Amino acid sequence: MSGAALSAAGAREARPAAHSWREAPIQYGTALLTVVLVAAPLLPVLYQSVVDRPLYDAGKQLTLGNFVRLANTDGFGLILWNTFVFAALTTLIAQVLGTLAAVLFGRTDMPAARVLGEFFLWPIYLSALVLSFGWYTVYGPSGYLTMLWNAVFEEPFWDLYSLPGMAAIAGVSLAPVAYIYCMSSATITDPSLEEAARVSGAGTFRTLRRITLPLLMPAIAYSAVLNFTVALELLAIPLVFGEPAGITVLTTFLYTQGVAGIRPDHGLAATAAALMLAVVCLLVWLQGRLLGNTRRFVTLGGKATRPRPFRLGRLRWPLFVVCALYIAATVVAPIGVLVLRAFASFLSPMVPLTEVLSLGNFAQLFEEPIYARAVWNSFLVSAVGGALATALIAMIAVVVHRSEFRFREPLHYAALFPRAVPGVVAGVGFFYAIALMPGLGEIRNTIWILVIAFTMRYIPTGFGAVAPMLMQVSPDLDRAARVQGADWWTTCRRIILPLMRPALVACYTILFISFFKEYTTAIFLFAPGSEVIGTALLHLWIQGEAGLVAALAAIQVGVIAVCVAAARAAFGVRLHG
Amino acid sequence: MAELAIENLTKRFGAVVAVDAVSIHVADGEFVTLLGPSGCGKSTTLAAVAGLDRPDGGRIRVGGTVYFDGRSGAFLPPEARNCGLVFQSYALWPHMTVFDNVVFPLTLRKVPAAERKRRVAEVLALVEMEAYADRYPHQLSGGQQQRVALARTLVYRPEILLLDEPLSNLDAKLRDRARTWLAELRTRLGLTTIYVTHDQIEALSLSDRIVVMNAGRIAQIGTPQEIYERPADPFVADFIGTTNFLPGRVAEAAGEDALIELGDGQRVRVRASPPRGPGTRVILAYRPEQIRIAAEGAAPDGAGSVVTARVVSRAYVGGRWQVALDLGGGPLRLETARPPAGDRLRLWLPAEGGILFQGSTDVSLV
Repeated sequence: MSGAALSAAGAREARPAAHSWREAPIQYGTALLTVVLVAAPLLPVLYQSVVDRPLYDAGKQLTLGNFVRLANTDGFGLILWNTFVFAALTTLIAQVLGTLAAVLFGRTDMPAARVLGEFFLWPIYLSALVLSFGWYTVYGPSGYLTMLWNAVFEEPFWDLYSLPGMAAIAGVSLAPVAYIYCMSSATITDPSLEEAARVSGAGTFRTLRRITLPLLMPAIAYSAVLNFTVALELLAIPLVFGEPAGITVLTTFLYTQGVAGIRPDHGLAATAAALMLAVVCLLVWLQGRLLGNTRRFVTLGGKATRPRPFRLGRLRWPLFVVCALYIAATVVAPIGVLVLRAFASFLSPMVPLTEVLSLGNFAQLFEEPIYARAVWNSFLVSAVGGALATALIAMIAVVVHRSEFRFREPLHYAALFPRAVPGVVAGVGFFYAIALMPGLGEIRNTIWILVIAFTMRYIPTGFGAVAPMLMQVSPDLDRAARVQGADWWTTCRRIILPLMRPALVACYTILFISFFKEYTTAIFLFAPGSEVIGTALLHLWIQGEAGLVAALAAIQVGVIAVCVAAARAAFGVRLHG
Repeated sequence: MAELAIENLTKRFGAVVAVDAVSIHVADGEFVTLLGPSGCGKSTTLAAVAGLDRPDGGRIRVGGTVYFDGRSGAFLPPEARNCGLVFQSYALWPHMTVFDNVVFPLTLRKVPAAERKRRVAEVLALVEMEAYADRYPHQLSGGQQQRVALARTLVYRPEILLLDEPLSNLDAKLRDRARTWLAELRTRLGLTTIYVTHDQIEALSLSDRIVVMNAGRIAQIGTPQEIYERPADPFVADFIGTTNFLPGRVAEAAGEDALIELGDGQRVRVRASPPRGPGTRVILAYRPEQIRIAAEGAAPDGAGSVVTARVVSRAYVGGRWQVALDLGGGPLRLETARPPAGDRLRLWLPAEGGILFQGSTDVSLV
C-alpha cells in the first residue's frame, strides 16, 4: 500500500456544477416531438372524417354524413369482404408455410436446413412492391414460367389476378414472420419437454404433433394476428394485381379515393382510413394481449441452444426436394428473374438469353432525370432520415427506460402507437396535415415530408431494436455517474448512449433498409422533385415499362442485399424488423 | 466529511413498507454498518441517502446540507449531494479505461487537467492499482475492479462514503484480504462511512457501530461488542453469530438471580437483568462457545448449572464434530473435539452470559 494518504483528504471539494435544469426541457422536448409526430397524421384523418367538406375549405360543418355515405357507397360491402378474405387467406398461407418451415428447418435433420432457412427469410428484406413485380415477371400472363407452361401444357392453373393468387404472393412474403416467431419460441422452449415425450415412448411424428406443435401455439397465434394486421395494410399486391382485375380492398380504395382519383373524395377516404385505424388498433391491442408485454420484441437473436433434431428417416431427401422446389419457385425465381430481366432487353423462354443481355435498361433509367433523382432521393432519405430517426429513437429510449420523467409511460405508449397506424392511413394523414398546416407547405415538395412520415412509421421498429439492449445495461452504471455528480443529460451522453452504440448501429441499419424500401406512405406524399424508388417503380409500372421497373427494382434489391450482408458480417445482428 | 442525520425515514413500495421510520445518527468520521437479511431495508436506506430513491417521508441531513425533507418536499438530486457510493456490482463503465473511469468525477467538477492527472495517480496508488490505469474493466479481476470502484469514489473526496455490499462479489479468500485492506484504509481516511452488508463478520470487524435492521425497522444499534454480547431481541441474537435458544419458564426469581425450568423439568440458574417474575415464559439464549461439556459426574456449582441433553445427530466437519442435541424440547448445536460417546451428553451452562428473552416457544426465529 502506498504510504501517502489522500492529500488534503479533509479539504472540502467544490460541488459539481449543477445542470439539473437541463433535464426537464430535454425530456419534455422529446415527449412533445414524439406526440406531435404521432398525432400529426391521425388528428387530420379523424377530423376530416367528421366534417362535410375538404379540410382546406372554409365553412366546414361537423357531421356524421361521411359514415353514412361510406356505408351506402356502391360495392363498399364487397370491398370489406375482399379485404377480409385476402387478409384471412394470406394469414392462413403464411402460418402454414411458416410453421412447417420452422419445424422442418429448425427441428429436423433435413439436409441443408440452415441454408434453406436463410433463403426462406429473403422476402422479409424486400418490399412487397418489388416482390409483386418479381412474381409478375415469372408467373404473370406473359411471365417466364407462364409462357414455358403454355408451351408444354394448356392454360396455367394459377391466376395472380384473383384473391387466392394475391393471397399466395402475400402469404409467401409474410411466412418468414411466422417462421421467426416459431423459431424463437422453439429455441426458448425447454428441449427436455420433447425428450421426456420420446423417453416415454412417443415416436417422432407423435412427439411433433402432441408436444412440439402445441408448444408453438402461442407463437403461431401471435404471429397470425400480426400477419393478419400486415395483410390488411398491404397496398402493393392489391394495387398491382387487384386493381386491373377489379378487385378492390380497403387500401386500394383509400389510394384511389384519397390521391390517385381524378376527383378525390376526402370525406370518404378519411372515413375509410378512420375505420381501418380502428380495426388495426383493435388487432394491435389483441397482439399485446396475446404476447403479454415482455416478449414484444423479437429483433435480436436469442440463445443458441439447439435441441436434438428429429430424425426424418426415409422422408429426409424427398422432403428436402419439396422444400428446395418451394424455395426455388417462391423466392429464387421471382427475385432472380426480376434481376435477370433488368439486365435483358427482353425475356422469354423462346429466345436464348445471350441474345438479349444488355445494360440498356440501366442506361435508359439514368438518362431520365426523374429516375436518377428517385434513386438519389432514396439514398438521401434513408441515410439522413435514418440517422435523424435513430437519434430521436435513442432519446425516446433513454427517457422511457432511463429517467424519472413523469410522463415516461405515456411516452412509451405514444412511441409504440404507430404500430397501429397502417401505412396508407399515415400517408393520407400526412397528406391532410400538410394541407391543414399553413407552415408545412414549405416542405410539401421536398423529401423532408417523407423523412418525417417514415420516421413516424418506424419509431416502434427502431425502438424494438434499441430497448432490449438498453434494458440489459445495468442501471448501476448510470446511478454511479449520477452519484458522482453527473446530471441526467451528462449521464446519458457520456455513459448510456456510448454503451448503446451497437444497438444504435443496428437500429440505423434496420431503419436504412426500411426507409429504402418504403413506398406505401410515399405514394401519398411525393411530389415532382421528391420521388423515391418506390414511387418511381409504381410510375414506371403504370407506364408499362417492364424493363425499367426491373432495373430500378434490381437497384433496390442490390442495395438492400449489400446492407443486410454488411450488417450481419459486421455485428451478427439479425435484421428481422 | 460531515455527520449524517437520518430522521424518521420512510419508504414504501406499493403496500410494502420497505423502511419504516428509521432514525440513525452517524458522527463525523464514524463508520456505521447497516446489517440485516436481504429485504430488511438496508439498501433502500442507502439509496435514499445517495438520492437514488425518493423516500416517502422523513429527513436526511449531512452537515449543514438538507438532502431530503419530506415535510418541506426538499429533495437534492444525487448529483448535487457529493456522496461517494461504491456499488455491489462496482458499476465500472465498461467503455472507459480505469483512468477514464476515475477521472470522470474530476472532469465533472472542472478540475484543471494537470491536477486531475495528479489526483488520479494518487488515488490509484492508494488502492494499489497505478499499474492498471490503461486497462479496461473487463481485463481486471473482481478484487481489482472493487479497488477501482473505490478509487473512483475517493478521488473527489465525498462528504460521506456509502458502501453497498462491496465485498459480496468476491470469493471467500479474496474477501478476507479485502476486508483487512478496507479496515486499514478506513482508519487512514477517517471518512464518515455507511456500510451495508448481510455479512456479520464484515460488520463486526469493520464498524464503530452496527445498526441491525429487520423488516424495515431498526432492531438494535450498538457497538459490535454490545450487539454480540447483549442482543436486544432473539432476532439480533440469531442473526449475529450462532445462538442456541432454549424455551422455558421462570421457576424462582430473587434479585438478578433466576431459576429457569426447561420443558423437561431440568432447571438452569441464570443471572439476568431485568429479572422476571415466576411463571413468565422465557427464551434462554447461549452462544455455542459458552456451553461446555461437563465431566462425568460433575455437579452444578455457583458459576453454572449442569443439564442432560439427548444427542440427535453428529457430523464430522474436519478437525471437529458438529453435534445436534435436544434439551428440554429445544434444539441445541455444539462443536466438540471428540464425538459424544453415548446418546446422552452432560452440559455445563454458565449463569453469567446467558441471555433471557421474554416470550414463548412459538416465537419464530429467523
